[in-house]
Amino acid sequence: MRPLDRALTTPLADWLPRQRWFAGKDRAIGEVSIGTDTPLAGGDPAAGGASLRHLVVDVRQGDDWDRYQLLVGERRGELPARLRHSEIGETPDGTHLYDAAHDPGLTRVLLEGIANGTEAGPLRFHRAPGAEIEPGLTGVPGSAEQSNTSLIFGDAYICKLFRRLCPGVNPDLEINLALTGIGCESIAAVRGWIEMDTGDGGEPVTLALLSDYLRTATDGWQLAITSVRDWLADPGPDGHGRYPGGGPGSGDYLDTTGRPGAVGIEPGRDGHPVLDAGAAGGDFAAEAERLGAATAAVHRDLAVAFGVTVAPADEVRGMARGMHRQLDEVSRTVPDLAEHADAIAAAFDALAEQATDLPLQRVHGDFHLGQVMRSDTGWVLLDFEGEPARTPQERRALAHPLRDVAGMLRSFEYAARFLPAGDTTLSPEAEMGLELRARAWADRNRDAFCRGYAEAGGADPAANAVLIRALELDKAVYEIRYEARNRPSWLPVPLRSLARLAE
Amino acid sequence: MSDANQPPPPGPGAVPVPTPAEERITDPITEVPPEAVETSYEPVPDAFDPETPRDPHWFKTAVFYEVSVRGFADSNGDGYGDLRGLIQQLDHLQWLGIDCLWLLPIYQSPLKDGGYDIADFTKILPDFGELGDFVELIEEAHARGIRVIADLVMNHTSDQHPWFQSSRSDPEGPFGDFYVWSDEDEAYADARIIFVDTETSNWTYDPVRGQYYWHRFFSHQPDLNYDNPAVQDAMLEVLRFWLDLGIDGFRLDAVPYLYEREGTNCENLPETHAYLKRVRAEIDRLYPDRVMLAEANQWPADVVEYFGDPGVGGDECHMAFHFPVMPRIFMAVRREQRYPISEIMSQTPKIPDNCQWGIFLRNHDELTLEMVTDEERDYMYTEYAKDPRMKANIGIRRRLAPLLDNDRNQLELFTALLLSLPGSPVMYYGDEIGMGDNIWLGDRDAVRTPMQWTPDRNAGFSQCDPARLYLPVIMDPIYGYQAVNVEAQRNNPGSLLHWTRKMIEIRQRHPVFGVGEYVELTASNPSVLAFVREMGDGEANHWGGMDTVLCVNNLSRFPQPVELDLRRFQGSAPIECMGGVRFPPIGELPYLLTLPGHGFYWFLLPPPPEPAGDELMR
Repeated sequence: MRPLDRALTTPLADWLPRQRWFAGKDRAIGEVSIGTDTPLAGGDPAAGGASLRHLVVDVRQGDDWDRYQLLVGERRGELPARLRHSEIGETPDGTHLYDAAHDPGLTRVLLEGIANGTEAGPLRFHRAPGAEIEPGLTGVPGSAEQSNTSLIFGDAYICKLFRRLCPGVNPDLEINLALTGIGCESIAAVRGWIEMDTGDGGEPVTLALLSDYLRTATDGWQLAITSVRDWLADPGPDGHGRYPGGGPGSGDYLDTTGRPGAVGIEPGRDGHPVLDAGAAGGDFAAEAERLGAATAAVHRDLAVAFGVTVAPADEVRGMARGMHRQLDEVSRTVPDLAEHADAIAAAFDALAEQATDLPLQRVHGDFHLGQVMRSDTGWVLLDFEGEPARTPQERRALAHPLRDVAGMLRSFEYAARFLPAGDTTLSPEAEMGLELRARAWADRNRDAFCRGYAEAGGADPAANAVLIRALELDKAVYEIRYEARNRPSWLPVPLRSLARLAE
Repeated sequence: MSDANQPPPPGPGAVPVPTPAEERITDPITEVPPEAVETSYEPVPDAFDPETPRDPHWFKTAVFYEVSVRGFADSNGDGYGDLRGLIQQLDHLQWLGIDCLWLLPIYQSPLKDGGYDIADFTKILPDFGELGDFVELIEEAHARGIRVIADLVMNHTSDQHPWFQSSRSDPEGPFGDFYVWSDEDEAYADARIIFVDTETSNWTYDPVRGQYYWHRFFSHQPDLNYDNPAVQDAMLEVLRFWLDLGIDGFRLDAVPYLYEREGTNCENLPETHAYLKRVRAEIDRLYPDRVMLAEANQWPADVVEYFGDPGVGGDECHMAFHFPVMPRIFMAVRREQRYPISEIMSQTPKIPDNCQWGIFLRNHDELTLEMVTDEERDYMYTEYAKDPRMKANIGIRRRLAPLLDNDRNQLELFTALLLSLPGSPVMYYGDEIGMGDNIWLGDRDAVRTPMQWTPDRNAGFSQCDPARLYLPVIMDPIYGYQAVNVEAQRNNPGSLLHWTRKMIEIRQRHPVFGVGEYVELTASNPSVLAFVREMGDGEANHWGGMDTVLCVNNLSRFPQPVELDLRRFQGSAPIECMGGVRFPPIGELPYLLTLPGHGFYWFLLPPPPEPAGDELMR
């Protein structure tokens, strides 16, 4: 290793684990080595100018190697205050190194590169066919991201820098580019991308994706939570809000009088209240329906762009066996799941028994409310990367489109129960009352989403009840394992939903 | 003429405005004296000063006030409001800061359709007074810096109008061809029936003439035949009559329907636009600062046609109502998210330079779903039908305060939106004090009850025997005149009335609210609607130069944080408009604000302080 490299890798080993996007925070870094090092912008550091280096580094933790992409800025002397928080370290010759994603003066090079289709060392900048790009906008990193870094240029484009690199074309680019090519309106159109030659003749590695920025859009999760918040706070039969602060001894959650005037509560036939989430002012159902329609449109376009394969019934039975395996595993470790295990197993059995040939195609793969955005004109689907924990092969695996629908149904279940989750101050009666409200909200929006999906030409979930039930329960079991391991206080969220589904 | 050291006379020169001594104690808007807040604008020259040219763009920054003459003030004790009563209350409107009155129909009429059935275009309804009273109203209003426009129906007349009486009895006479007559009731079958509840056809048989006549509205309102040049000229004559009396413009009722053509829906026809262009050219020629305000209850993309050719800044109507924005405001606050508003704003096309939208929260009418395109109606139904409360409230005629459960925070938020969204705001009489309605009167009259001036008999509206009032005053315990009236609110600096006046005053100081671009900001929180109104310097700017206002609205009833991307204004230190408080300067990072439930902020964004010259050079 050259001394210059060591001057870089030593501070990096300290800096990397502190980054949000760094995957292996739980293990010590054994070694950092520099894969490629490409100067992208000159600047004479001695004269106070900054320069930009594009780095691909390999990080060893235990026996595993991971690749990361870095933009490193270099400046002589003290960093300006606005960049100090992104400092990586200082080399013995007094050059300050910092994360250049935070330096708009340097990141503009990326936009210019894409606009001009330039090449730099192994890096290839591409402008999407027919796309126009206005260079000269300044980029700032977005704040919401977990596993990547996005630069927002002006309010026109967003450039997603993939931090942890996987071999080959990133499915996010692959899918968005194909859908842009056939004029899909429910995605953010691709403007360009950056990729890197591996030098061994293999598929280039995707480094970054530049798309239209949805300036005034909000993610679906935020919007759904706004609706749930309204629904939970609507006055109950006694005129008190449902949540938070139903008042001392919030027995009103179980009030069955259904007094007139209370929002969304009608006396049912047997005198029990019927909760109508549609009566809430913050109703989300119209949005859920439109989201269903947008999802169906994207599925249709994915089938056009990538084709459809029919999986024989045998493969479906194999799928059901896989579901059983996960269920058995999780039931052993999470005792709360055991009481529902039989009902869940029955759903998987039904899938195996009624197995027929299934049309499979490319899907979103990790579909939930956080992956969609409401723009001023409609819903847009984002992040076609698949589940982050999976291998590149698994991420591109074909699936039935109802798998995405099941994912979104799970997301409605989560949204309905998110606000009170982890609140330990609620009485059991209050919790039960909130659960009833959550069910009413989830039911209403699940129905609306499925209706929108089917009416826009998607596979009708009602006509594929066995399949979608199995897919959803499988996903719920996965969630229970995840919550039990990572967020035990959240475990009631999927468990309550499961209690409902397994009824 | 005037001594340079002398302060300019306060507004109107000729007629002194009474300012009683006790008035001055409560009168000034105390929180921020105007001079404490930096503004870069020079006041628009006073349009009514004979020494200065009249401002042809006044309507772009004006605050309008819709008033029913019948419901405002009764001067002669007959139980009906009248023009002289209105004149007596002009001081209230001047104090409030109103720029322009919009009068509901004031013409001779059998009143089968609230006066929209005009029986004589050049006579005042006797209940309201006579022409002399109207002229005096114009003079008194102008003396207070207030303009006056009135409703005018060009499409049809009452069947009592002498033109129609002559037309039906003398087909060969001068008015024989003034209306659309036919032997059959088959023509123009593609034109929809607007009042489906009362009318079964757009044709009605007249036994006197033995022919059918065409009417797009009620059968007692025959449509004028604009294919007849004599009708075109007669209507121009009507307009000139009122313009010569000094009226400042017209709110033109039902403009899309002037012409009929076979095979079309008989709406928005090119002939209609051509005639409006002719009217406009006449007004521009002889009355250059008067305004035509179109009522075309259509989707904004269609309404925009009524502004005329954008290449010349617009050559049809100066203004048109933006209908969908109002229900969207209600919807956004009910849903606690900004999309209903964001969506309609992004679908609203750019309008010609010399034109302006009129926006409102409530008016004398309900939200008429009959008069919108099918596409819009479908959308409204799917959006509203899901919410029974919406269906129950928006679809019928209610006043603003009862619609918002008399919630002061919401009333303020709605008013702030009305005063800051693009367009000139039109307030409805009584809403400035939060008047209620009387749903037992039937929905037509529910929102047209007498204005509540005092806690005295008949709410100070009239000296008559209470049983003689045209409609009873509101008497319920919440909105009744003893609780809600102008006098009480004038005496209470914390009242809605004072608050509304303050907001209007801020708006008047910043023409950018009327003429600035509307740019919605990226806000992290879907419950927060944030936008800037901005205008740059330049030759086209008649409004005193660059100005930028940031408006942040919390549509939720819960407190909300929001992070705003304000990098474009880096270095500027926002100044809150109500209190003049300076907020921390805008930096590179998202600007964090927290808002109380239904709270809003208006901030001025002054240009960042410039670094000293020599620093810049190094």
